[in-house]
Amino acid sequence: MNCEVCHLKELDVEHFEIREVLRCILHTIVFHRALGLVRPKDIDLELFEITYVQCGDVEVEKKIDEKIEQFISWVEKHPNKKSQICLSFYEVKNKQQSWFTNKIERLYWEQWYVNLNVIQLPKTHSSKSHHSKVVFDPGESTSEERSIRRAALEASLRDVLFQIIKFVNEKKDHVPPISEGVVYFPYEITIPSSSDSAFGMDMIKRMLQTGHPTMLS
Amino acid sequence: MASSHSNVHSEAAKMEQIITEFHTKSLHIILESRSPYVSSRNFSGEQILSSPSSSSSSSSSVRPRDKWFNLALRECPAALENLDLWRQSNLEPMVIDVILVQRPVNWDTVNFSPKRELVRNLSSKERYPFCWGFDQEEIGCEGKSEKIVERWVVQYESRKVRDCSSGSRRSSNNTLSNVYKKSILLLRSLYTTVRILPAYKIFRDLNSSGQICTFSLAHRVSSFVEPFTRKEEAEFQRFGFTPVDTSCGRLCISVLYRSSLSDVNSEPSTPISPQVIPDYVGSPLADPLKRLPSLPISHGSPSSLPFSRRHSWSYDLYKASPPSVSFSPSPTYSEPHVSISNPRSRCYPPMSLPPHPPETSLVHKKDTSFDEYSPSPNFTPSASPSPPIYIPGGHLSKGLLRSESAPFSTPAAKLLSSKQNLFPSSPIKIARSGTSKIEKSMGPIQNGTTIEKLLSLGKDDSRRYSGVKLSANSSPQISFSRSSSRSFQDDFDDDFPCPFDVEDIVPNSRPESFDQKGLLSDPHDPGGFFPIRKSQDAAVGALVCMLKKAPPLRQDLSSTTNMSEVSRPESWSNNILEPSRISEVPSGQNAPSLSVLSSGLLASKTTADALEELRSYKEMKNLLLSQGARSHTSANYPSLAEPSSRGLNE
Repeated sequence: MNCEVCHLKELDVEHFEIREVLRCILHTIVFHRALGLVRPKDIDLELFEITYVQCGDVEVEKKIDEKIEQFISWVEKHPNKKSQICLSFYEVKNKQQSWFTNKIERLYWEQWYVNLNVIQLPKTHSSKSHHSKVVFDPGESTSEERSIRRAALEASLRDVLFQIIKFVNEKKDHVPPISEGVVYFPYEITIPSSSDSAFGMDMIKRMLQTGHPTMLS
Repeated sequence: MASSHSNVHSEAAKMEQIITEFHTKSLHIILESRSPYVSSRNFSGEQILSSPSSSSSSSSSVRPRDKWFNLALRECPAALENLDLWRQSNLEPMVIDVILVQRPVNWDTVNFSPKRELVRNLSSKERYPFCWGFDQEEIGCEGKSEKIVERWVVQYESRKVRDCSSGSRRSSNNTLSNVYKKSILLLRSLYTTVRILPAYKIFRDLNSSGQICTFSLAHRVSSFVEPFTRKEEAEFQRFGFTPVDTSCGRLCISVLYRSSLSDVNSEPSTPISPQVIPDYVGSPLADPLKRLPSLPISHGSPSSLPFSRRHSWSYDLYKASPPSVSFSPSPTYSEPHVSISNPRSRCYPPMSLPPHPPETSLVHKKDTSFDEYSPSPNFTPSASPSPPIYIPGGHLSKGLLRSESAPFSTPAAKLLSSKQNLFPSSPIKIARSGTSKIEKSMGPIQNGTTIEKLLSLGKDDSRRYSGVKLSANSSPQISFSRSSSRSFQDDFDDDFPCPFDVEDIVPNSRPESFDQKGLLSDPHDPGGFFPIRKSQDAAVGALVCMLKKAPPLRQDLSSTTNMSEVSRPESWSNNILEPSRISEVPSGQNAPSLSVLSSGLLASKTTADALEELRSYKEMKNLLLSQGARSHTSANYPSLAEPSSRGLNE
């Protein structure tokens, strides 16, 4: 089984935008991989003029939110760093016992890389300590820049959603058959863990498992 | 269905069925997010109740239709109607045009016809989509009133019959279950896509806000493509979904869409001029003939709307103008407007108003009833004529909020004034009936000092900031979206049968929007409570003097910030994102809260802007105060006026 990989366009987000942006992206992907009976749930983003779709599963929502929180706390510890979140779908295969010690193996058939560049705007930085400055030198430009940036992010986020849709459209053959009663394919969300090396190890491990060449990129 | 393999049907028959259901589902998905929601309400509550909703709580009922492609959609009567009409064979393409209808401001209220009739009109038109010269006439004569914003083509392209191998030659790719799986995937992405395209925003605006919009969405389903001119086509972007191969052909979906609908969004703000509004209001609302001729004037468009055309319009109306057509009293829908005008109506307790002539009392009824949310049944008859009163307001407000609040730095004064001006019609009208001094005296304030500003905010600003989204701007949307993120079905599930459930949302969302816009209500209230007598000229004169004597801005700022020490640090840093904080300033002190408000908003402005803003604030506040004071005994004057001037001048 081959593993398809999709690298989503990098987004420049501010800290407070992480949650919405990630929710939007992750849920959209999962919705496309929830091929069981779903009642889609439309969610309007608050920061952006965008509506995305959830598959309406509470567990999915919980898991995604959990991971996002973990990611956010990671970001707080590692500011000004580009970061990647990986959403992988796998099938569970029962392996021969002689092969590995663990019987169950995950066969990854698809991976999505969400690329975020968390930026910090100078204003949010200094507003607390130098608020007097902010008062008299607010500069129309700051808010204008901010809004331009926000609009740009909205457009980019839209692009990412289209990227997801296009990918889903173009690559259908690798998607495993739907099993009765299963709403969504098993998936995992990997965020950079506190020690980067572990994250790297994780990736290597997965590469070995799936053997996909593009993983190195 | 593929998942339940039975041998009753041959594979070919099953494939056939998948293709049929694929069309059905596609249509359903598209219309569900394009056909304004009210149409579902035409149907029995029972149906709606059992309709699948986004919420998992209601997942108990799964209808057969939901199981197709494992996608449970909410009930969409429009889709079902159209399906019956369209469905001839799998080989015909299904073309779904989504049409943006922009109508004259109060036009839709003309139509009182019951829904049944509308439905019939609709279906006859749907049945013979090309017999009624929809495009030629409407688009040609009415200028921009209608235009296609999306064209979806769902099509099964079949190969020649002999290519269809039955068995051995078929690749594993085209097995039934594989085709089914792929069509599920395709429909999932269709579902997502319809929500990303620009037209969805229109749909959302139409539904979530309950506003009476000057535009609406209609749709037309037919089986052949009516070609666009090259020029028209150039305005569209195309998105083609990857076809799903079946054993004998392939399933295709593609869409042509307008990437920019900005004109829709900004247009409503401009065409209405305040002068026109009294005209509307003053004319007997029940007399459509009288109103219609005035439309071209109001829009500045050369075309007039023949009254006899009503039928052709009613089609769109049915689809598109929930407020006027639905049976529920219009207060349901005009709520949000009312809520926007909240501060105003709060300022003027209804009991202080003498009895009004019928049409006037309507206004007040509305103003006052929003608080209780008790849509009285006896209100219903007046529901239809009432929208004209509100539409101009909604019209204005929509445009204003959008264009004006775009920049973070939106001057508070402007916002404030826009609030006041949301309903230029009502004060004027009341003044006409000669009953309310308050509003009479308020009128000039609005007209004189602010309308100019408002109008100047028109298209230029909105264009400049179109696409720019800011949190200041988004506050109304935030509140709406919050309620709507429960998704419509949720609302329906909760308690659909009552048409007023929509209002349940509104009260929830209103406080938020008020907190965020916020300041507008609080600081304004105190001023508003002063009964205002008259003689603005004198007041303005006094004001000017005051302004001339006013100390420089910086002094003001330092003093006001001192006064609001508690809230200051946050408001400086957060004022943009959380204006609500500012409104937390002790509300007991009218003057301070006003000045804090202005200073808070100043943070994001240049000093010059700020000065100007502050002035306009002062002007307004002082006017209110002085007028209020005058209405009391003269002895009260100093005590009332002093704190305020202290607040500003020290």
